[in-house]
Parts: sequence; C-alpha cells; structure tokens
Amino acid sequence: MMILAKLALGTASTLMIAGVYTFREGTIRVDVDEHREGGAHVHVWAPAAVVPMALHFVPDDKIREVTDHANEWAPLVRIAAKELRKYPNTTFVEVEDGDDHVKVSTVGAKVQVDVTNPQENVHVTVPLAMVEDVIAQIAARQPAS
Amino acid sequence: MRVARASEVTAAEELFSPPLRINIEDDGVPPRPAHASPSLRRNAMKNFPTRPASIALAGALLLAPLSLLSSDLQAQEVIVTSSSSSTSERWLHVRVIDTNHKGETVRVNVPLEMAEKVLPAINKDRLHSGKIQINHNDIEGVDLKALLEAVRSSKDGEYVTVQSNDNDVRVAKQAGYMVVHVTEKGFKSSKSDKSDKSADKSEEKSYERSRVDVKIPMKVVEALLSAGKDELDLVAALRALSAHGGDTELVSVKSDDSTVRVWLDSKNVSD
Repeated sequence: MMILAKLALGTASTLMIAGVYTFREGTIRVDVDEHREGGAHVHVWAPAAVVPMALHFVPDDKIREVTDHANEWAPLVRIAAKELRKYPNTTFVEVEDGDDHVKVSTVGAKVQVDVTNPQENVHVTVPLAMVEDVIAQIAARQPAS
Repeated sequence: MRVARASEVTAAEELFSPPLRINIEDDGVPPRPAHASPSLRRNAMKNFPTRPASIALAGALLLAPLSLLSSDLQAQEVIVTSSSSSTSERWLHVRVIDTNHKGETVRVNVPLEMAEKVLPAINKDRLHSGKIQINHNDIEGVDLKALLEAVRSSKDGEYVTVQSNDNDVRVAKQAGYMVVHVTEKGFKSSKSDKSDKSADKSEEKSYERSRVDVKIPMKVVEALLSAGKDELDLVAALRALSAHGGDTELVSVKSDDSTVRVWLDSKNVSD
C-alpha cells in the first residue's frame, strides 16, 4: 500500500513539475472569430514552452532555410523582444479606420496584436520570453561560417 | 533497551531528524526526548530513507504552483517599476488623423530608450548602425548637411522668409530651436458683392490650406550632424532628444483632410 502511495506521489509530482515547467514561459493564445455565417472560430491556447521544444524536432536543413532569412531580422527581433519586456501594459501602435481597429501592445510580458473589424476579430498573444528562446535557438543551430 | 550513541548517528540523520538526536550525558544515561518514545524513534529510523524524500516531494507539489504565481508577481513588479519609471522616461508620440476617409487615426508611442537600442539593429537600404546615408540627388541637389551646419553655426535669427501666392515659408533659429513654418495657401471663389447684381462676378479668396510647424532642438540637429560625411546619425539624435527636458512638440501638420502631430513627453500614452 505504501509503495502504491509513493508511486502515486512520484507520478503526481512529476506531472506537476512538468506542468510548471511547461507553463513557466506563459501561453500562446490565438483567437480568430469570423462573423460571417459558417465562419471559422479558432481558439488556440498552448503553452509557449512547446514552441522551442518543437523546434528541436525540425530538421536542420529546414532550420537553415529559415536562418538564411532570419539573419536579417533576428537581431532586431531579439533586441525588440528584450526591450519590450521593459514596457508591460503599453500600447505602441493603434490604428482606427472606421470599424477597423488594429492594436499592437504589451500585456505583462506578452506582446498582443488585436485586429477587430465587422468581418472578423483576431487576437494573438505571444510571450516575449518565447520569442527570445526561438531566436536564440535558431541562432544556435546556424551552421558555423 | 539499546540507545544509539552519538557516533552512530549518521550525517543524514543529523540533517533530517534533529529532534530525535540523543546525546549521551557524562553519566552514560541519555536524557529521554520528551516527545519521542523509543518505538517512535525506531519507526522513524526505519522510514528514514523514504520519509524525507516523500516530504520533499509533497513540499514540491505544494510549492510548485507558487512558482507560477511568483512569475505573475514578477510581472506585476515590472509593471509597478514601469509605471514609476514612466515619469523619467521620454516617449516619442506620433498621431495622424485623416478626416478624408472614415476618420482614420494612427497613434504610435515609442519609448526613446527602446528606439535607441532597436534602431542600430536595423540594417536595411540606407539605414545602417543607426545612421542614414543621404544622397544629394534625392533632395534636388540641396546639401542638407551643409544647410543644417550653417543653421547650427549661426546666431539666432530668421534665415529664410518666403512669401508667395502659394506658400509662406519661414526658417529661423530661436532660443535653441530650429524652427520651420510652412503655410500652403489655397483659393476659394466667392461672390464679391451681392448688391452689385449686374456684375455677378466672383473673386478668389485665399485661405490656409495646410500649415506645417517644425521645432527641433539645436542639440538634436548637432547630434544628427555628428556622423560622417553624407550621413545623419539618428541614434545620436534620439539620445539628444532623450536628454531634452520638458514636453516638446516637434512637428505639427494641419491641413483640410489630415492632422499630424509628433511630440515628446514623459507619458506612455498619447492624449
């Protein structure tokens, strides 16, 4: 009986620690709602730690394809992500055109893009830590020149 | 009943079971712990290898959600820090209101410190390492750098005043600022005199079609010119703007169909 209890405790703690690690970097959230009849309603809520983990399984040649383009913008994204962390809960860009509304802002340590118009609403939230991790991982997997 | 001697107490036991530790007194009779009977102690010793581990695991389970909470608290701490530091930070704001279409409004708020760090990372076309290359052909042969240098080294005063039918232009240097005013004129036809029925003639009346006001601190102009030949140092200019105290309206454009405003202050939101 004690062994079973210990096993249960071990399993529960492993799951809990795995859960904490997975959600440590926050969550990516994508919400798409089309207002037309039969329109798509996509709601994705995924732990951000999954993305850098998933990158490990991307073949090197595919990563190389990305890094060819990434060299140009990666330093910019890395610095921007690092700097944006210093300005939580700030609206950086806001565009209103009649019923169209676009907003780029930070919410805590996440960057959020909101697009709302009569046709659809799109909300994307990405943790800045994840952006930094992805860029770091892509840079690390670049072939040595 | 055998009582464990101090020498038999392992280091691990010392770590995990300090209340059960028994010291032998000089007379050889160990004082009995008030809270632990020998049988309890034996049980504790028997369970020794797994008990602390179980406690540690249970503790970890209990504390694990706190680590998530702590990251939230950390974020809140950053928010507090940010709001308190917002008074010392300088923000560049751009607001464009286009009345032509469905009232399009664009608002951009950029902290100067962030712009200073991000700008050097952009290497595209003529923008490299926070400096922009200028080509005289692009500005119709005007040597912009020479022009700015001339304004910088001159005393306060009005340098250019142009008054024509279409435009009024004024370029001046005053109180440490370079000031540019451009007014574009338009003409409306209007009936001249209602009493003169026979004539029924119309005359053109001028009105202010658009107005551009630019007011740049001279320190910013100097910083712009601090780069090499045919280059303007944007990062240095941003630094100079950052150091410029007080709220400053840098650019203001008002026309029939749009309003543009670029200004500097310590707030992270535009009005």
